[in-house]
Amino acid sequence: MTTIIPFGPQHPVLPEPVSLKLELDNDVVVGVLPSLGYVHRGLEKFIDTKDYNQTTYICERICGICSALHGITYTKSVEKLFNAEVPERAEYIRVIVGELNRVHSHLLWLGLFADGFGFESLFYECWKYRESVLDVLERITGNRVIHSISKVGGVSRDLTKEHIDMILKMLDTLEPQIKDIEKVFVNNYTVKKRTVGLATMSKQLAYEAGTAGPTLRGSGNAIDVRETEDWDIYRDLGFKTVVEKDGDCYSRTKVRVKELYESIKLIRNAISKLPNGEITTPIKGFPTGEAIMRTEQPRGEVVYYVKGNGTKNLERLKIRTPTFANIPSLLLTLPGVKLADVPIVVLTIDPCISCTER
Amino acid sequence: MGMLNLVLSNISRKPATRLYPFEIREPFKEFKGRIVFNPENCILCGICQKKCPPDAISVTKADKTWELNLFRCIMCTECVNGCPKGCLSISNERPKTGAKETVKVVVPIVDKPKADSPKAASSKAASSK
Repeated sequence: MTTIIPFGPQHPVLPEPVSLKLELDNDVVVGVLPSLGYVHRGLEKFIDTKDYNQTTYICERICGICSALHGITYTKSVEKLFNAEVPERAEYIRVIVGELNRVHSHLLWLGLFADGFGFESLFYECWKYRESVLDVLERITGNRVIHSISKVGGVSRDLTKEHIDMILKMLDTLEPQIKDIEKVFVNNYTVKKRTVGLATMSKQLAYEAGTAGPTLRGSGNAIDVRETEDWDIYRDLGFKTVVEKDGDCYSRTKVRVKELYESIKLIRNAISKLPNGEITTPIKGFPTGEAIMRTEQPRGEVVYYVKGNGTKNLERLKIRTPTFANIPSLLLTLPGVKLADVPIVVLTIDPCISCTER
Repeated sequence: MGMLNLVLSNISRKPATRLYPFEIREPFKEFKGRIVFNPENCILCGICQKKCPPDAISVTKADKTWELNLFRCIMCTECVNGCPKGCLSISNERPKTGAKETVKVVVPIVDKPKADSPKAASSKAASSK
């Protein structure tokens, strides 16, 4: 006989509300039924009342953690409608802010993950280091969480010499700090005991379930939009996709830790290649036609579809977020897992419910 | 083993957090704290109102007033970049806790007779708490 136990919508490990109905046989999960819709705000429809410039700020408010990349993806998709050439300096600034965003998001996740298996002191360490990244973002963009750096046609603020020195100095102190916490996440007995071999997903299964981001790359699929999409800038910066083969919670953690180094490398390369010049290009008129833009968020691939009809408002905005793609993988990996391990498995997809429900 | 080193080194370190009400961090000079409105050059064109994404600004030509709802403002600075006369700027001071919801400013239009007492309006307006 099986028992149904509700996991969420309010649960200590979940920062946002998602409900999973777990079907248990003793303490082993045999079936999962997710239910979403607790934080639906109707933002895709809300853009009807705002023009295409103002929509940037709505898109940034979809998620508090990957806000910069939501804004960047939206503005890039609208620039596609206009066939606008954005100044190269603006593109580099977008990459720098986007990657800083990824660093702070991954540090946040590592902290939450440590908290998920009860490693409180590691959680504090991760969030302490994250604070320096947030301070840098606040100084570059003027805001701590919602950065509002990208706007249609370029970026809203320029990087000064002082900012660049500050970023490089912060990265120099952050890198050894990340090495410290990496040792714990990779070698610690407790962490390994809780994560190795848990909720394993094969390469084929991860691909077929349509997962995205570190969940996909943790199963050996070398798919990263930064490398595959025609956003040339990442190729110039020497980006390499991070892959781990095992497909369990441990390898998904390792992917995220290694991506921190990759992001730091990208920021350093972008700063060394930062060209001089304008940061915005004027854009006139109203958008027409359709465009799709894909970028790699901390949690995976985000897809923006925009359709303009020649008025100041967009006719349609459709967003497919990475967590939406990753939730089906939970249904495949959770059966067979013990109830005590469910929080860890749910956290390894880095659930961002506000993104998913918009 | 790595964690043990961290714990040991943290014993002698001072806390990473601040004792907030007694120790307040100075805001960064780039921080977007609040919008400052200088009504002297304002022509009541209403561009800031049109650009404002959350509809926080309302400009009334009849009463010659410029109004900002601090609770709605998202500090995107669209209005600051859009103002043709450069009346709006950003200050790095955040609005004080318990501030009033709206800031209402009477705009002294220059070519009109000085009936609206521009002195009082301009001095009070900019330093909105």
